[in-house]
Amino acid sequence: MPELPLLEVTDLSVDYVLDQGSVRAVDDVSFTVDRGEFLGIVGESGCGKSTLLFAVAQLLSPPAVVAGGSVLFQGTNLVGLTDDQLSAVRWRDMSVVMQSAMNALNPVTSIGAQFKDAMRAHGKYSAGEITARSAEVLRMVGIDPVHLRSYPHQLSGGMRQRSMIAMALLFTPDLVIMDEPTSALDVVAQRSLMVQIKELQQTFGFAVIFVTHDMSLISHFSDRLMVMYAGQVDELGVTRQIFDKPLHPYTQGLLEAFPSIHGPRVPLKGIPGNPPSLASPPSGCRFHPRCPSAFDRCPAVTPDLYAVGGTLVRCLLHENGSPSR
Amino acid sequence: MAMPVSGVPTQTPAAPAPAGSGHHVLARIGHAVRSNHKATVGTVLLLIFILIALFPGVIAHDSPTQDAYAPNLGISTAHLLGTNHYGQDLFSQLVYGTRNVLIIAFVVGLATTGIAVLIGVAAAYLGGGWDGTLNVLTDVLLVIPLFPLLIIIAAYAHGGTTLVLIAAITLTSWSYTARQLRAQALTLRNRDFLAAARVRGERQLYIIMVEVIPTMTSLIVASFLTNALYAVLFASSLQFIGLGDPNTVSWGTTLYWAENNAALQTGEPLWAVAPGACIAVLGAAFALLNYAFDEIGNPALRPVRKPRSKRA
Amino acid sequence: MTELTENARHSPKVELLRTEHLTRHFKIGGALSRRTLHAVDDVNFAISEREIVALAGESGSGKSTIARVLARICKPTSGEVYFEGKPLSGIRSRRDALRYSGLVPMVFQDPFASINPVFRIQHGVLRCLKLHRPELPASERLTEAARVFEVVGLDPAMLGRFPYELSGGQRQRVGFAQALAMRPKLILADEPVSMLDVSIRIGLLNLMAKLRDEEGVSILYITHDIASARYVADRLIVMYAGQIAETGPIEDVLTHPRHPYTQLLLSAVPDPRAPLSVAAETDRGEPPKVVDPAPGCRFRWRCPLAIDTCAQVTPELAELRPAHDVACHVAQTSAEEVKAFT
Repeated sequence: MPELPLLEVTDLSVDYVLDQGSVRAVDDVSFTVDRGEFLGIVGESGCGKSTLLFAVAQLLSPPAVVAGGSVLFQGTNLVGLTDDQLSAVRWRDMSVVMQSAMNALNPVTSIGAQFKDAMRAHGKYSAGEITARSAEVLRMVGIDPVHLRSYPHQLSGGMRQRSMIAMALLFTPDLVIMDEPTSALDVVAQRSLMVQIKELQQTFGFAVIFVTHDMSLISHFSDRLMVMYAGQVDELGVTRQIFDKPLHPYTQGLLEAFPSIHGPRVPLKGIPGNPPSLASPPSGCRFHPRCPSAFDRCPAVTPDLYAVGGTLVRCLLHENGSPSR
Repeated sequence: MAMPVSGVPTQTPAAPAPAGSGHHVLARIGHAVRSNHKATVGTVLLLIFILIALFPGVIAHDSPTQDAYAPNLGISTAHLLGTNHYGQDLFSQLVYGTRNVLIIAFVVGLATTGIAVLIGVAAAYLGGGWDGTLNVLTDVLLVIPLFPLLIIIAAYAHGGTTLVLIAAITLTSWSYTARQLRAQALTLRNRDFLAAARVRGERQLYIIMVEVIPTMTSLIVASFLTNALYAVLFASSLQFIGLGDPNTVSWGTTLYWAENNAALQTGEPLWAVAPGACIAVLGAAFALLNYAFDEIGNPALRPVRKPRSKRA
Repeated sequence: MTELTENARHSPKVELLRTEHLTRHFKIGGALSRRTLHAVDDVNFAISEREIVALAGESGSGKSTIARVLARICKPTSGEVYFEGKPLSGIRSRRDALRYSGLVPMVFQDPFASINPVFRIQHGVLRCLKLHRPELPASERLTEAARVFEVVGLDPAMLGRFPYELSGGQRQRVGFAQALAMRPKLILADEPVSMLDVSIRIGLLNLMAKLRDEEGVSILYITHDIASARYVADRLIVMYAGQIAETGPIEDVLTHPRHPYTQLLLSAVPDPRAPLSVAAETDRGEPPKVVDPAPGCRFRWRCPLAIDTCAQVTPELAELRPAHDVACHVAQTSAEEVKAFT
């Protein structure tokens, strides 16, 4: 019998309830994450990926609210649980790494004190156990445990992000959700952090959901990739397959927007126009105003997710489950 | 929005613009006032008081000072709040007194905020020795207890005409606001658009007046409202203890006379309560407007509305 | 890139800006401390007309400090900057300062903080025109503003809008429009695309190339993203810990990187089309904060090829290939190409 997925998100929608009306930031998103799998979620600003992440982690605060769908984590629907019920799951089975460590770490307490807070919040441990475990997770991410006494501003950017990851691993959860943890880092630190995350994942076997705007960063690390646009899933499939043969015109456009340091210098075009306003998205396919392959039905018909081989793609060009043009 | 949106890199996450906002400043203010309950109530109250101050004769038909009536009359249609010990119509007193109170409130508010903007923002921008000197000046006034200082000034000026009251309150109130404005100006100092203005060759004074101060409007407006509110309270208090000119028609002086004649004890409670209530209501109007401006300026402070429940 | 640029690159260049021994230190610690942070040390480079020079490095490398010195936001601790042959330290009158700031404007990194949110978009452009184009009568300023907006690819109707209505990419174009309105010779672009979405970056990079080709403007493109540098720049300067590690024509530096740090940077750039390079994993170091440094190469702690000299003598730039300078003892003394990180 196939193993149940670790995380199963079905038809999840998130609205921002504003004075002027609701804006749907995440629209009917479904995906699964298996044990030990690395799922990358890619998209540009305003596509809803961070909102989606917060919704899955049940960290939404008003005016954002889950408007529908379910988040099944190890069989339990997290939507609608109270904070008390969630705390059993939080940090022990599922943890979150925020985008900017300087925003997520308390600047006036030492790293060690924050680890202590995190541990105490989720169980009873002796001081010795806390110190031992804190030192252990710091070593896991390559930081000398002497830094338990350091304050966040005394550490470099890369070290701060690593300590965030260490904190997320305190209880070796089954799922670690990461929201652009490398975006504030330089390219060398970024690379070394990604490699570190992958190593830890392979050693400890936890699943990772990694949200980023930088497709090229994730290309070598994620097992599967989900591309989001304007609150919807546009493409979802095996990473290598999407990179080798992107099906959705948006994915194609994104991939072509990365200048390469190898190979010939070619002029690139990027994707013309701007991401749409979620308050009044385009009719039919949300990408059609910017799509080079748009045809007459695109503004009229909202495409579903169609299966092409192992990949799901939301594009009328693939309506019959195979490229029609 | 209270939701953190992914920061780097960013494009404007297509935020919906407020419905019907032309860029006309009045239109935006109008919409903001109508949609925020605190703003609506505060504005209505303030407008009522302003109208009363502008056209007292329309509302109250009697002269406030003329002691033409029988004393100690109760509430009646002829005398909406009765008459006081001297036979003056209490309602007229309050209506005519509104003008004095509002003049004090607005003039002090404007003067205090004006001085505070000049000194606070200048200190932040000029830095160095100027900052040090202006800070010493500000801090000295900040540290001296406000009310005793007011009393001394008012007493020294031999009982205050309205002008003296205004001057005294302004002198003692600007320092707090100056501190606040300086702090905000300091945080703005390193913003890129100011560096951009410097780099394109703008003069220092231009940057302060045109680029910095307009971005501080919400704090400046809030300061104005707070200072107006405190002006009302301080002025009335000074008048109440007899440091105002007892012959001016104002709420504070009415209170003074009420106290002099032991109104509460002798069975004329309205004489003391009514002006007190007016002060409270006007104060509330300013306070509500202040909250409302905060909320309008900072959406994170807005009251959370329960979302309409959708399908589960 | 267009044929125009190919020709432009091969013809002899007129030098526009040159730095000589440019140094900038900051005092750190309290009032009594004597420690200095060496943000920029002995930097020498030149920018010619009609070229885009990329200044690449990680944070703390000194690249932003150089931009601020060139924009005259701060003064160098020592050394000199020459613009059109004249030293910047000779600028004393307001007129000279204004003239320089019109010829060498700056475009900032953060599109959301670099425009005053209170005014309409036209405010900044009109001020630039008023200050730097006195020959233009007031009545024609708006027309000229509309013209530069079209050059940078913006709809002139945006002049009447407020900043919050524009996207990040559009705001950065406004930054370039403001710079262009002043008829500049050299634009200092401090990480102009780092905060933009990837698909928008290309549009701005293309704009920068267009400004060089069609408007004849040089650009100092400061970035930490080598791939985008390769896309637009003619020459590359790689900085590490306040000093220049390597500099030369960009294709040559990228295909024959001689400095170990450049090799490390290149191996760390994510490229979905290339297989994952293993070398960068072994490096866990961070660029140092250079406080009161001793002589010697500042990269030596992270360099797998460091030799004794590296700890004693600070390497100087030496030309190893045509127009391609490297500051590395090992690279300078070894006969064949060094490979520290592949």
